[in-house]
This record gives sequence, C-alpha cells and structure tokens, in this order.
Amino acid sequence: MVKRSVLIVDRSEETREVLKTALERRGLRILAAGEARRGLELAREHHPDLIVLDLEVDQLPPAEVCGPFSEQSEADRTPLVVLGSCRRGLFGRLCGEFVSKPYHFGPLVRKIEELLEATGRPRARSA
Amino acid sequence: MPSLFVIRGNDQGTRFELDAPAVGLGRDASNQVQLHDTEVSRQHAEIRRVDPNTFALADLGSSNGTFVNGRRVQQYRLASGDQIQVGSTLMLFTSPTEEPAEDLAEKVKIASPRAADDQSHIVHSVTQQEGSRLFELQAGAPQSPWLERAQANLQVIYRTALAVSHTLDIDQLLHRIMDLIFESLEADRGCIVLVDPDTKKLLPKVRRTRKGARSDEKITISKTILDYVLENNEGVLTTDARDDQRWNPAASILQLDIREAICVPMQGRYDVVGVIYIDTSSSPQEIIKQGGAAKFSEDHLKLMIAIAHQAALAVEDTRYYSAMVQAERLAAVGQTIATVSHHIKNILQGIRGGSYLIEMGLKDHDESLVRKGWGIVEKNQTKISSVVMDMLTFSKEREPDLSPAELNRVVADVVELMQSRAADEKVALEWHPAEAMPTLVFDPEGLHRAVLNVVTNAIDAAGEGPRPGQVAVRTHYAPDEGKVRVVVEDNGPGIPPEQMETLFSPFVSTKKSRGTGLGLPVTQKILKEHGGHVHVQSAAGQGSRFVLELPAVIPGSGPQTLVR
Repeated sequence: MVKRSVLIVDRSEETREVLKTALERRGLRILAAGEARRGLELAREHHPDLIVLDLEVDQLPPAEVCGPFSEQSEADRTPLVVLGSCRRGLFGRLCGEFVSKPYHFGPLVRKIEELLEATGRPRARSA
Repeated sequence: MPSLFVIRGNDQGTRFELDAPAVGLGRDASNQVQLHDTEVSRQHAEIRRVDPNTFALADLGSSNGTFVNGRRVQQYRLASGDQIQVGSTLMLFTSPTEEPAEDLAEKVKIASPRAADDQSHIVHSVTQQEGSRLFELQAGAPQSPWLERAQANLQVIYRTALAVSHTLDIDQLLHRIMDLIFESLEADRGCIVLVDPDTKKLLPKVRRTRKGARSDEKITISKTILDYVLENNEGVLTTDARDDQRWNPAASILQLDIREAICVPMQGRYDVVGVIYIDTSSSPQEIIKQGGAAKFSEDHLKLMIAIAHQAALAVEDTRYYSAMVQAERLAAVGQTIATVSHHIKNILQGIRGGSYLIEMGLKDHDESLVRKGWGIVEKNQTKISSVVMDMLTFSKEREPDLSPAELNRVVADVVELMQSRAADEKVALEWHPAEAMPTLVFDPEGLHRAVLNVVTNAIDAAGEGPRPGQVAVRTHYAPDEGKVRVVVEDNGPGIPPEQMETLFSPFVSTKKSRGTGLGLPVTQKILKEHGGHVHVQSAAGQGSRFVLELPAVIPGSGPQTLVR
C-alpha cells in the first residue's frame, strides 16, 4: 500500500519537526518546507493527501499566502489545514479548515487524521 | 482628507478619517466611526459627501439626538471647525480648505539678493518682544482719557496674547493672566474656576488677593451668578449696593463696604471652559471721595471678557494637545504589546510542541522522543528568559553594576553559549581575544547581554547568506585611547541603508517572528550606561561589523563612576 502523505509548510523548524515526528509515527509520509514557494513546488510535484499551511510562513498578506495553496488543494481534491493568528472568519470560506494559533498539537494531529480518513483511500496518482 | 477628531468622551483623542462617500456614526461595530458611548444609538447619524468639498450630517432617528455647535439638527451642512455632539461624545469636524490647491511656491517667490528685481533694504527693525510697545503711551503726546484707556486695554490684551503663546502649562498661564488682571484693574480679590471637562465640576484654580487686603478671607462666589455666567455665556457686573441711599454722602448711615464684582465666562473655540471672577470693596470714605461706588465699569467688563477668551483658547489648546499626546502614547503602547505578544506566542507554540513530544515519548516509553521534546522546551525556555531580560534592561532606568572584571572572560562566555546556536544555523563562530587585556571596571552582566544580542544577530544574519556563514568575535584594547572594543563581524547579507535608521529603535525587528526588536536597543542602552557606544558598518552582500566601544577604566585608577 502506498503511504499517504502530508505536506507541512511552516517557517518554524520546531513545528515542522514536531508534526513530522508525530505524523510519521502514524504511518504517514511527510514533506516539509520552511517557505511558501518551496512548499508550493512540493505540492505541485507530489500532490500530497493533505497540506498543513502556516499563514505566517512568509511576510505576505495571509490571503496571498493562502490563495495558491487553496487552488492546489482544490485541484487535487485534498484538504488544506490553515494555521494562523488572524480571525477565523476571514479564511474559513477561502481555505476550509482553520486552526487558530497558538494551538495544541494533540487536537491538530487528530484533526489531520480525521480529515485523511474522511477523504478515503489514496487515489491513483496521475503524475 | 476631512476628519472627525473626538475631543471629549470615551474615544477622546481618536481621529476618524472620512474617506468614504457615506460614513456612519454610532455604537455598532458596523459604523466606520464607532463610538464607545452608551448614550449613542447603534446607528446614530451619517456623514455624506455631497460634492468633493461639501459634507452633510444627517441624524438617523437617534434616541438622544445629534447636535452641531450646541444646536439639535436633523440635517446639517458641515463646515470645517463645526463641533458635533452625539451622546456624551464631542467631535470636531475639519475639512481641507475648499479653495483649489494652488502652488504657493509659484505665487510667492523667495529671491536671492542678486537675482532679485527688488531693491528693498532694511530701514528699521523691531525685535519680536518689542511688539508689545506698540500700544505704549508716548510721553508728551497729547492724550484724551478715552484714548489713554483704550490704549491701556489694548496693551493688556496684547500681553495676554503673549502669555498665552508662551506657555503650555495651564496653571502657570492662569497665574500670569491673573497678574495681568491685577495690574490693569483695581481688583482686591480674584479667582479662576475651571470646569472639569469630564465631570463638569467646578475646580478653583487660581486665587489672588491684592497686597494689604486680608488674604485668608474666603472668596465666596454666588452659585446663582456662576450658573448665570456659564449658562448664558455672558459676563456680569454685580454690586451689593441696594437701591437705598447708602452711598449717598448725604445719608447718615455709612458703615458698610460696598462690594462690586465682575464674573466672566472663559469662552473658548468650542466650550466655556471656566469663569474668571474678580471683586473689589469700597469703604464709605472712598465712596464719599469718589462720589460713588462704581470702581468697575462696563469697559472693565468688556476687557475681562476679552482676556477670558484668550485664556480659554489657551486652556483648550493645551487640553487637546495633551489628549493627542495621550492618544499617540496609547498607540505606541499597543504596538509594543502586539510585537511582544507575537514573539511570546511563537515561544509558547514551541513549548507546546516540545511538551507534546515528551508526552508522546512517555506514553510509548520512547526515551529518544522525550529527549527531542525536552531539547525544544529548553531552547524556548532560553528564548523566553532572554525576552524577559531584554525587556527588564530596556524598561529600567538602571545604573550599571560596576565591578572589576575580565572582558575576555565575559565575551568568551557568550561565544561558548552561542556555539550550539551557530551550529544549528551552520555558521562558523570564531573567537579572537585580545592578548593584553587588563582587568577593567564595567558591569559584567550588562556587557554579557550587550555582546550576546549582537552575536545572536550576527549568527542569524550569517545563516541567511548564500555563502557558508561566518561570524568572528574579537576584543581589542587601545591603552593610548583609553578604550576597549568588542568587534563582531558577520558575512551575512548586510543591512539595507533604509534599515540603518531604525536599527536602534525599540520594537522594530526585521527578523520576522524571531526578533523582539529589543536586542540592539538594549545593547545600545547598556553601552551608553558605560559611557560608550555602538558603531555599525554594513555593506549589502558583504556583511556587517558591529563595534561595541567603551572607556577602559582600570581598577583603582580613579573614581569608579562613569561620566555620561
């Protein structure tokens, strides 16, 4: 069986490390990027089953950071989890799942698992 | 841009720009001008742009009404300077001048002497201070009593205006005004009462008695008169001489003094800010001599109204000025708190991540996971302690804790402490201590912080560059100059010229989530406390060089306090 994959886009190395460790233990393959541009390249190349995006990954306005990832996840029909300090109302509509910072890792990891389960088995990849 | 400036109420000091075609005023958050005032309706009023320079105010059926310059209005065409009152909030409307902007530089030419087609030369000059002599009486010139009095009055008004323009301290100003009143009017006693802008209570501010008069005597002002003056905004002249014949020299009973008083409102641009009261008593003897009791005339009353108006303008100016300063200060505090809490939030996120790994490791009996989590927690603990130490250093007016210490030792400690961070960032951290460094008097803890902050920045900068990161730390002793230096160089991207200006401004960080914006300000503060300073050289793409320079104070070589 092909391992399901999660892309983590967050400028904090610690956060990437914690999520990677926790999710790998759950049998997931982890891709990680410390900046938005690199994250987008990984998303377009590997079509991960889920993307976790920290809106503060770049110093751009949140909508600009979120936009391309949102498009990508829509094209791939995969969930996008957005971490941010701004108000939920602004991005719920745009990006699906919003988690307000500072968050606890336990619930975040559970949410990722739930979303992956809801989207079912890995799809046959076109790329 | 036309705007509303709140001059009274909970939002005092806030400026609202009226940049939309229609701007709502009200308690509800949907209003662009949201007022935190329970007496204001949710959708209270609206300001519409009728044409580019005309604005109309409309009440939207509010419960308590909308007032412009004290009058209730439904619709009103606003002019710059109008006061709008809704609930207990008072706002000032200002709009740019309606005349099309013309280039004044075109119309007014400041010519250099040579190019000028103007042949003017100076024939006489008067200093600014001498302006007041404009109204002085000229000795020998024939004078009519009326002209004399008019000139004297002008003189007083001019001096009042001068006093107003020279001070921003209300109390001092009011004392000066009282001096002027006593110089020009025959008052025995006087006082100035201000209306507290918030509570509307009357607060006596200045009390003055003429020399020779009993100074411990209470000044009693009739409430009826005060209320009359404040409500009707009129000055009054009063006397307690009844319609009897007391002042008639022919009368047999002549025992009581007659008291006359003048009470005038201090009418400013927007409000009555208080009253000025003066009075005088005439003894029976004086009354007989003058053939009457009237020491105060209508002229005096007019003069007092004019003086009070000047004083009121100054009181208002001062109040609005301090409201504005206060608003700016609050904005700065808000900015500071936002920066610091953002930083702390990131640290908190790190601690939560570390604890999560520890928890997971404990559950799975996986020691490597616990160790990994612990590493993250510890790193964030260092970060938070560093933020707190920087904030403390920055906030305190502190004296450096001077003692004989080894500068090389202090810097070596910092380098050792930072080796692991340098390794994380893949930066080579080198240390070159000066060979002949004597024991010096300085604050070792302070210097530790100062050097630590600069080295931290250098490592972060070097880690960003495309080349393999390098940071070199040196100490240098210059006995001939009586100075020591700590030099920190990195090969990072350098500091852009536009950031040089704000390099030492607190809470300005270019390190995104990593910086508090306190590091360099703290370093500079510590160096200044030592009578030293920080030099920065930086070139784009070449890296930066920070020099921390301080006087080399040899122990026992003199008083161990620093001259700053």
